[in-house]
Amino acid sequence: MELGRLEYLQALVTEFQVTDSPEAKEQVLANLANFAYDPKNYEYLRQLQVLDLFLDTLTEDNETLVEFAIGGLCNLCLDKTNKDYILEASGVEPIINCLSSSNEETVMSAVTTLMYLTTPQSRQQTTALPVVECMLRFSLSASRRLSNLATVFLEDYCTPLQVEEARNLSKHTAVGIPLPKD
Amino acid sequence: QVYTINLESRYLLIQGVPALGVMKELVEQFALYGAIEEYHALDEYPAEQFTEVYLIKFQKLQCARVAKKKMDERSFFGSLLHVCYAPEFETVQETREKLQDRRKYIAKTTNQRDCFVLKKVEGPKKTVLKNSEHDHPQTTSGSCAPSNWDPSCFTSSHGLSHNIGYPSGNQSRLTFPQYDNCAETSEYVGQNASLTLNVHPGGHTPPTPLTQQRTVPIDNGVDRFMPRTTRLQERKRKREEGNKFSLIGTNADNTEVIIGPQLPEIPKVDMDDDSLNTSATLIRNKLKEVADSVSRTPVEKPESSSAKPLVKQRRRI
Repeated sequence: MELGRLEYLQALVTEFQVTDSPEAKEQVLANLANFAYDPKNYEYLRQLQVLDLFLDTLTEDNETLVEFAIGGLCNLCLDKTNKDYILEASGVEPIINCLSSSNEETVMSAVTTLMYLTTPQSRQQTTALPVVECMLRFSLSASRRLSNLATVFLEDYCTPLQVEEARNLSKHTAVGIPLPKD
Repeated sequence: QVYTINLESRYLLIQGVPALGVMKELVEQFALYGAIEEYHALDEYPAEQFTEVYLIKFQKLQCARVAKKKMDERSFFGSLLHVCYAPEFETVQETREKLQDRRKYIAKTTNQRDCFVLKKVEGPKKTVLKNSEHDHPQTTSGSCAPSNWDPSCFTSSHGLSHNIGYPSGNQSRLTFPQYDNCAETSEYVGQNASLTLNVHPGGHTPPTPLTQQRTVPIDNGVDRFMPRTTRLQERKRKREEGNKFSLIGTNADNTEVIIGPQLPEIPKVDMDDDSLNTSATLIRNKLKEVADSVSRTPVEKPESSSAKPLVKQRRRI
């Protein structure tokens, strides 16, 4: 059965690489991302370089592909080996870029992934000032899911000093549209 | 549709419940899948005629998962139920716990000790020598109580306990305050105390060798999945380098005020060919021109875009 699973995953990866159809790509990527939820599959996914596939797809134009790719990363990044691999492959930057997406799911997956990727070594990146600033804004979002996630990020993964710094930055730069002076 | 931990929830939304006063039966049906903490009708929620909407909160996420799978699209008193997760009803604490539970689950199933940095340390890297001045009252004792959270993970790649021997000077100081806090809130006082004793006598080992040592044990893993370096990837890497500096590096200068979430820069693509590069540059400049001329509008509404960056309705699953 294990052999069957590996072959199936291999087929998915191949399909993703050869197909031209965006719909097919999305379908396949969704499948892979869902497989990434189950730790049983991690060894296979690593073997098939699916982590690279997810990371590469983060910079695609297709929003749906990005959403699924970051979702996949979110699902598998807690595993130590996967985490180290993603960090080594400079995966933090593209993930941070996902914070700017207009797709809510992408943003939320990115927030969670950053949380999960935070280690003593990586925290300088994952909790860099622009990121903290971003989280501050997200924590005020009307979307409860997003504001919850951002709040957990700020409370659990940032020091009060970092939050303060980011807050001061916003204050000095007049967040919001300054009213025209008469 | 991709399922991530963010989409799942202990809260389930049940639509299509016939308005026949069958709440009790509904709850009984769902209770077959696990203990239910709360439930009530959602009168304000839009519902089809003659149907009601309910919220059911399970004690455990796994139960909610199974219940959703089994009850979705099931006929109930002649009406078809639609069951989906409702994470928007979670409190911050519940979201936090959900994320932590996922962590614990992965650590358990992969037999790894996951290292995560919870903010219990005051001033992480720079003030390493100061042992936590304030103990941050951690509301979630569950966050450091898991039986599989092994402090030695900071020095190991696969969480094998024999790695305690690692010289981990900096690391140990970093983690030391955490264990103190942990000791207050977890039952594993004995274990933590003894482990910190083991880890503590590290010298002033600078972090670099530690990082190197960290990568050594997973070398064989890395060999197996050497990243493919296609041209596309190379270009992407270069692009990412650019983005990295734009997002993280230049912000420190504060010359440019970042108000909204940073929009990705137009990628500088190196086509590896002079004439193509020239064309690319021309196009890029043109784009820049156009972008600048309309830049006022998009730049000036950062608040609105960041306050609700996500206008699209989420498809409920």
